[in-house]
Amino acid sequence: MAVPISQMVTVASYVIAQKLKGVKRYPLVLMLEPIFRCNLACAGCGKIQYPDHVLDRRLTPEQCWAAADECGAPVVSIPGGEPLIHPEMSEIVRGLVERKKYVYLCTNALLLERKIQEYKPSQYLTFSVHMDGLRDEHDLAVCRDGVYDVAVKAIKMALKKGFRVTTNTTLFDDANSDRVRAFFDEMMDLGVEGMMISPGYSYDKAPDQHSFLKRHRTRELFTKLLTNRKRRWQFNQSPLFLEFLMGKREYDCTPWGNPTYNIFGWQKPCYLLQDGYVSDFATLLNETDWDQYGTGRNEKCKDCMVHCGYEASAVEETFSSWSGFAGTVKSTLFPNAT
Amino acid sequence: MSQDLSNQNQGETLEGLSLRPATKEELVTAVEQAFDYRGDVTIELKSGEHLIGYVFSCVKNDSKAYIEIFPTNETGQIKILLDDITAIIFSGKDTAFGQSWEAWIKKKKEEGKK
Repeated sequence: MAVPISQMVTVASYVIAQKLKGVKRYPLVLMLEPIFRCNLACAGCGKIQYPDHVLDRRLTPEQCWAAADECGAPVVSIPGGEPLIHPEMSEIVRGLVERKKYVYLCTNALLLERKIQEYKPSQYLTFSVHMDGLRDEHDLAVCRDGVYDVAVKAIKMALKKGFRVTTNTTLFDDANSDRVRAFFDEMMDLGVEGMMISPGYSYDKAPDQHSFLKRHRTRELFTKLLTNRKRRWQFNQSPLFLEFLMGKREYDCTPWGNPTYNIFGWQKPCYLLQDGYVSDFATLLNETDWDQYGTGRNEKCKDCMVHCGYEASAVEETFSSWSGFAGTVKSTLFPNAT
Repeated sequence: MSQDLSNQNQGETLEGLSLRPATKEELVTAVEQAFDYRGDVTIELKSGEHLIGYVFSCVKNDSKAYIEIFPTNETGQIKILLDDITAIIFSGKDTAFGQSWEAWIKKKKEEGKK
């Protein structure tokens, strides 16, 4: 089981409660970016290109907790930048765990060995380690040699200390499906709880503009990756979202499902686009013109199939109908059946 | 405006440009460019004052359109009405511009030859 039962129950209860209350748009995962500074400069990343005085700014623990309270999502993902650079990150995490939020701390793991003693293992805390493939592919993607080996060592160490560990993988146009499948084997051999995979989004500020996947190519790649998948591969994400990546399902984007809060405020409309910022979550939810966004409605969304837009859509389907629920159960138990 | 941006290519940088909008439309265009720019800009105000910082927000729909900046040398943020702006200078380094991916690939290829 890639996600613990307690987490499934928490998320399911939350979504059902929203539906019973008749809430049309609800957040599922808060994307919390307390710092943009990073110790890598990955080719596909458009998140860190800012002047130094902006990179030096950070959210305080109190700001992070207030955002989590205001938003109310049961899951908090902490990407960046590299979160472990933030000197108060362990305090931020502690406060979120106290609030019983399921925290995914997304890290490249370069600092994990040095910082891990600041954290306590908990069912609410997962280190989600950035791994973009086997050694050659990963080191190429992060533009630095040796990072893969450091990350593997850190994963082993974190697992040994009793932490939940997953991997998060962004796949680009040059991905070789056989190599990626071998990568899945290698990650499961390490003993991670599960893997998260997503196609890369074409940030217009990213250095490498040539390697982002188009929609048809995304479906081809994920079909090759996930057809006849091995039983031991565990994915820490909605099975219906994986079917969406394979082209078996169509979804509309639900960007409010993964709202983003960072040093600028609440980001409109999503984790990937920056059309402006507002100071509170209610304004984001109520005053964003959501109809402007999504595939077919906005040029910038044309090829996007990224989890932060579509995984919440898949979860919504699970709890919207018996067929959605049955599809989720079937896809979980028999991933190769369809 | 001191510089026509209509032919600006994606692969080019605004770094070093100085824009002095002559009309409201030109001002809105200049402000949009500043909002999209991943570097500091210098804002010249009608008062003669110059503010330097990173433009992180741009609100155009209100009757009082404004931008917000993180000033370079102080904490906090500053709100500036569009009506008060006379010029925008792309004075800071464009941090999103460059060929770092290509440089990395070139380095890898050279290493492979050794």
